[in-house]
Amino acid sequence: MTDLSIPQSSNGIAPVTASAPPAPAAWPPADATVVAYDVSKSFKGVVAVSNVSIAITPGVTGLLGPNGAGKSTLLRMLSGQIKPSSGSVWVAGGDPRSDAEARGRIGLVPQQDGVFEGEKAIDIVSLAATLSGLDQPTERAAHALGLVEMDPGLERPVGTFSKGMRQRVKIAQALVHDPIVLMMDEPLNGLDPKQRRQMIELFHGLGDAGKTVLVSSHVLDEVERFGSLVIVIAKGRLAAQGDFRAIRGLMDNQPLRVRIQCTAGRQLGAALVASGSVMGCRVDSDSLIEVTTNDIRQLRRELAPFARHYGGRLEEVIPLDDDLESVFRYLVGDR
Amino acid sequence: MTPLLALYRVLSRNLLSRGRLTLIGMLGVLSILVAFAINRGNDGDPGLDAGVTFVWFLGLGLVVPIISLVLASSSFGDLVEDETLVYLWHRPSPRWMLAVAAWASSTTVAIPATVIPLSVAGYIASGFDLKVFGASALAITVATAAYSSLFVFLGLLVRRALIWGLMYLFIWELFVARVGNGAATLSIITYPSSILASIADVELAQADRSVLTGILVPLIVSAIAMALTTWRLDNVDVA
Repeated sequence: MTDLSIPQSSNGIAPVTASAPPAPAAWPPADATVVAYDVSKSFKGVVAVSNVSIAITPGVTGLLGPNGAGKSTLLRMLSGQIKPSSGSVWVAGGDPRSDAEARGRIGLVPQQDGVFEGEKAIDIVSLAATLSGLDQPTERAAHALGLVEMDPGLERPVGTFSKGMRQRVKIAQALVHDPIVLMMDEPLNGLDPKQRRQMIELFHGLGDAGKTVLVSSHVLDEVERFGSLVIVIAKGRLAAQGDFRAIRGLMDNQPLRVRIQCTAGRQLGAALVASGSVMGCRVDSDSLIEVTTNDIRQLRRELAPFARHYGGRLEEVIPLDDDLESVFRYLVGDR
Repeated sequence: MTPLLALYRVLSRNLLSRGRLTLIGMLGVLSILVAFAINRGNDGDPGLDAGVTFVWFLGLGLVVPIISLVLASSSFGDLVEDETLVYLWHRPSPRWMLAVAAWASSTTVAIPATVIPLSVAGYIASGFDLKVFGASALAITVATAAYSSLFVFLGLLVRRALIWGLMYLFIWELFVARVGNGAATLSIITYPSSILASIADVELAQADRSVLTGILVPLIVSAIAMALTTWRLDNVDVA
């Protein structure tokens, strides 16, 4: 896993990182294509993003947070759309706000629905290609539309398109110039399940090809399917970044629930409680228990010997809080 | 297609809404009807003064700035409103190109919409005087280009540019600028009015500059407005 750890931010909240904080020289990573250092943004005195430092390397990274957490503001600062109130942004070789070449290496899918309503899809994507200085913009546009499974020959104006079709036009215009960095704000909104699957495959393909793909979403299932790398924003602050499973592993102070299926479940549960490796145990049936532990390592050590001791056979051990939703709930639940 | 041409094309098409075309058409038809009324009211012999005053008061004073305002403030105003500006703004093409394309698109729609009906109306109101037609055409062209550049900038600078633009027109251009010579120097209407007055050889209030000054100053105003628009594009936060 790529280490995305960052220096401690100055806002007093220690972001959870997927590994121990590196020496300052290790940050940002040499292959980082998107770096924000201590960026903040206020709107009329209201802080939207506060002292966020992140570095993003090639691959797919999910930008996660509840509605209003500051994801879009952060993404807009990273893409150069808005100027940070403080801090600095570096993307693909420069500051995208002032450096046109750096901006030309970014593909952007903004959150808003609006596209040029009266234009055809091919014309919108072709315009993007022309403005990026590409030769044969129409051919490039047709190729980009093909990537999102849209017919370049559609004669209808985009204003008559469904939300899903518009969304794919927006993705196509972001892809047309083969950008190094792709930033997408809620790109799967409006897509049906099949289209979502296709787009996620496309994003994975781009990530595998060495592109940096940053996808913002508030839908946990979506982000989980993008991959394991996440940046979690809560109340404008960086709550965590890195591999969400590793993040979960570092959250020692958060109890973990584990479901255990064992032929001697009841005795096993009692023994684990007695040993202190679990805080609580719920017996669902003679062979199925759910325990809550603060010390997963001790539980792992004791589980098999205890089961053997009571003549039971362990059939299934499932951590219930190892998914992104649990990580997210822990990270943002009390903020 | 070059980036500038591509920008010009998409911005022009964006401007041509049914509502705007209706407003432009109505103002043009209204101008010609009023011109006919003036012509008939003077028994077919209204004279040069009536035609020039008509173009100066109704054309340069109202129709030209209002059509320029409606079109030019929408060049960026619409894109800011529906949040599509980002698709043009985020590309690596130079920002001045975007400013020039916005000005060119609104001006090339506004000029025929103002010059043709108002010059024809002036021609009719003056009792079919070709000098009035020529003077009107030049003055209106210059005025439309200058107002458009100003309102392209305004459309990027503020929300509800139409209201701010109307306040500017009615308070500054049509009221303050007609009161004193100092204020007139700082208003756009003075310069096309001077072109009209000079070529038609008619006296108009606060319109005593030469034809050359009447052309040069609005051109300089346009260049400054374009520079300010480019600066604004460099610094604006885009949704």
